[in-house]
Amino acid sequence: MTAAAKLASAGGPRIDFAGIDLTLGRTRILEQVQFSVAAGSVHAIVGPNGGGKSSLIKTLLGQMPHQGQLTVHWPSAAEVIGYVPQALEFDRGLPMTVDDFMAAMCQRRPAFLGLSRRVRGAIDQALAQVGMLDKRKRRMGALSGGERQRVLLAQGLIPPPQLLVLDEPMSALDEAGIQVFEQLLHAWRAAGTTVLWIEHDLQAVLRLADRVTGLSRQVLFDAPPAEALTPERLLSLFSVHPRSEGVA
Amino acid sequence: MSYDLFRQMIQDWANAGYLPEALAYGFVVNALLAGLMIGPVLGGLGTLVVVKRFAFFSEAVGHAALTAVAIGILLGEPYTGPYGSLFGYCLLFGILLNFLRNRTGLSPDTLIGVFLSVSLALGASLLLMLAGKINVHILENVLFGSVLTVSAEDLLVLGIVALLVVALAVPLYNRIMLASFNPQLAAVRGVAVKTLDYLFVVLVTLVTVAAVKVIGAILVGALLVIPAAAARLVSQSLKGFFFASVIIATLSTLLGILLPIVLDLPVPSGAAIILVAGLCFALAALARALVPRLQGNPA
Repeated sequence: MTAAAKLASAGGPRIDFAGIDLTLGRTRILEQVQFSVAAGSVHAIVGPNGGGKSSLIKTLLGQMPHQGQLTVHWPSAAEVIGYVPQALEFDRGLPMTVDDFMAAMCQRRPAFLGLSRRVRGAIDQALAQVGMLDKRKRRMGALSGGERQRVLLAQGLIPPPQLLVLDEPMSALDEAGIQVFEQLLHAWRAAGTTVLWIEHDLQAVLRLADRVTGLSRQVLFDAPPAEALTPERLLSLFSVHPRSEGVA
Repeated sequence: MSYDLFRQMIQDWANAGYLPEALAYGFVVNALLAGLMIGPVLGGLGTLVVVKRFAFFSEAVGHAALTAVAIGILLGEPYTGPYGSLFGYCLLFGILLNFLRNRTGLSPDTLIGVFLSVSLALGASLLLMLAGKINVHILENVLFGSVLTVSAEDLLVLGIVALLVVALAVPLYNRIMLASFNPQLAAVRGVAVKTLDYLFVVLVTLVTVAAVKVIGAILVGALLVIPAAAARLVSQSLKGFFFASVIIATLSTLLGILLPIVLDLPVPSGAAIILVAGLCFALAALARALVPRLQGNPA
């Protein structure tokens, strides 16, 4: 079975952000954000810290009251969203193995009763894909940051998502982990999964994304990476008072 | 078979020498049965209390029970089991605390500190006002627990609460835990994070109130924390963590009820239960220090 077949889904949705405004208290977080994510594409979002990337994700996941039109065009009735967060909040001394964590994520049966037979196959496969099968009995708190990031990627594979939202998945990965991530990204693309990917590593975006949106409160650019990631644009994106080019 | 017949049967067997002598007393049978319900439920729920860092909250709810008892007596409820005010006040306390935690942005420990002290001040004032009207020894029972006063009605309340907590917490265990790891991830996976937070607060409150009779208001929160904390020290997986916590809590409760009776010690049951649990914690800490395998992972 190819990696793409393993990740097979019904194909990803197209997402349209149209005039999205978000204000928290007196702070304007997002201002007239307008761009589209093509179905089945790998779409990166780059921008400075505090530029509204995470808020945009929260808006997409329905956790932020916003103004404007956000439309997700699902190709089928099944709407499966996967999410890979940047980090987990948990007591590092907690006796929770990788298997326990995966069980808590993927099954209803209480994790303290072990993996249920129904999801065991999928969990085995997901852990194998991220190279964590041999560390499944380790405590989550004893893993390195990169290993924990791989486990977070593994949970994002179950159930196979049509839309996958990645929040800086490479930040803690080592060289081998980055290769694993790149393989997954190729497999998602091959399976037609729509991937919305927040990333700081601009080299990786240039190499792996189909399209990139520069976000610093407003959309500063939205284009294929080779076209978008020019020194001038990046200078503008990461400067304190960015100027919009009005590209949509 | 009614509960009275069952208890009589146990007492008869104890009188005939088939069971320990202490079980010849009806109140001991009542108390042990209460312990058999309290131990596993508090031990199991305690693992979630530790995972979600709710230890201080469960302590505060226990202390709120003190105020609730005073309000109940003032309102004319029976002082042996003012369940109306106990459940009413403690649920209000827990739910309001959670509501404000979501709204004020204050850290949970700060907010609990405020609630706990105000509630204790109210409880102390009311109890002192009542002191002239009631037998103050009743307060000892409320504060530190008593095995002498566990009635069939208490057992019924405890049984219903235990069933309810098990029926809700077991199927929702993963989701309650997941909500504390990353609320956003939990929400994407279909977990109603805020609703589950409230549900958890209600479950902790219910079980705390139901256990006040045996363990007492001052110490009831500790049985949600100490067994789980001890289990956390020596476990390597969630399975070990959960079941070790259940076993330690059950063992502590049963020994804490039986030992003062068997050894004829004038120690209240609540204090004895927590002392046994504390001993388990000390042993767990010692075991962790002496056995390197308990400190981390096998390679």
